[in-house]
Amino acid sequence: MISLQTLVAEVKNLKPIPAVAGQLLAVADQPDSAMADIAKVIQYDPVITAGVLRTCNSAYFGMKHPVESIKDAVNLLGIDQVIEVALVRSGSQVLGGTQKGYGMDEGDMWKYSVSSAVLAKQVSVRLGLKGKNTIFTAALVKDMGKIVLEKYVADAAGKIADLVENQHFSFQEAEKKALGIDHAELGAMIAKMWKFSPRMVNIIRHHHLSDETKIADKQIAAVYLADCLCMMLGNGVGADGLAYRFKDQVMKHLGISAVDMSMIIADFGINMQEVETLLQMA
Amino acid sequence: MKQIVGVADMKVSNNPGESIITYSLGSCIGLVIYDPAVKVGGILHYMLPDSSIDRQKAVARPYMFADSGIPRLFKTAYQLGAAKQRMRVYVAGGAEILDQQGFFNIGKRNYMALKKMFFKNKVMITRQDVGGNVNRTVRIEIATGDIYVKTSGSGEVKI
Repeated sequence: MISLQTLVAEVKNLKPIPAVAGQLLAVADQPDSAMADIAKVIQYDPVITAGVLRTCNSAYFGMKHPVESIKDAVNLLGIDQVIEVALVRSGSQVLGGTQKGYGMDEGDMWKYSVSSAVLAKQVSVRLGLKGKNTIFTAALVKDMGKIVLEKYVADAAGKIADLVENQHFSFQEAEKKALGIDHAELGAMIAKMWKFSPRMVNIIRHHHLSDETKIADKQIAAVYLADCLCMMLGNGVGADGLAYRFKDQVMKHLGISAVDMSMIIADFGINMQEVETLLQMA
Repeated sequence: MKQIVGVADMKVSNNPGESIITYSLGSCIGLVIYDPAVKVGGILHYMLPDSSIDRQKAVARPYMFADSGIPRLFKTAYQLGAAKQRMRVYVAGGAEILDQQGFFNIGKRNYMALKKMFFKNKVMITRQDVGGNVNRTVRIEIATGDIYVKTSGSGEVKI
């Protein structure tokens, strides 16, 4: 078991996600937020601004004239695309690197996070869900608990493997049993310490839906489904593999059929270029 | 040289200096074929069992689906001199999430689609490593036909 004090100290040592991400989310999903508000939030963070402009000027977007300000970027690409670019750039600073305890090599977690976020966006568009930027961001950062937990997972690798392979535990259940906390709980703790909104904290905490009473929350269910799809597609998956629980009830609740699920996978196959572009932003 | 097969992609080679690899098979299937007599090998990495869900996508990306991808893999190898009766066939992937059942179990459906086509066309699987909850990377060396599988978190193993 790991003591809470140890974990708190470790979280304090992490380089946090830039504050701009939180501020951006606070305005982005307000139905009446104006473009100008969003541009204002981004342009006060020089690193993110530079990153957004560099991305917007990349060959992928094929701009005829260089994009020189956040306002230009918003006018040319639309607000959603600019928010997405800003959020991804914010996340890359935290989620890069290796997580050996989870068998993840350099960039694997980042690849998994971006793929999950793109899938979550597809799910929210297909289902017409509210708060699509929140869903996108939650899917992007949901596994950040793994950044701190990975070395404890490495120390308990034998015990966790035994629980998963021989005793029918999911990987998350095995983390909890072996370490006293799982990566979703720890991720929520980090989000709270970084002053993410209670909504985001809640989605991160429940993204594997181990508490089935949360199924009714469509944003949580969408992030959960995107995570399942991402595991199935394998992009950046670690040693925990697909050892999480699949819940038919979520599909019923969201109104997702097996054909819908296949269609989302097929769309993702076509849109992989988008993932590659987002990955190159890191 | 290493040829990389992406998701919904296929590569076939007769260049003995090459190896072909496909990464991170979850529920997707990596189908590896090799004819030792002419040293022709290839890998197909498909995502879904059946192209009838979206014919347009099957035209744009035939390697996305078992039914449109598998025949192309074999035909491409035949064009380089491979023959069906000599072909070694290895299947990897088709993993599933815990408790994933019925039509939602795309890993199993991907594998069943392949089995059905092989049964109809009298193709035998030489070896396979399918199902379970693990993520696999598979590689073949064209010069020898040696196949290697790596499961996330552990080392590469020759099979």
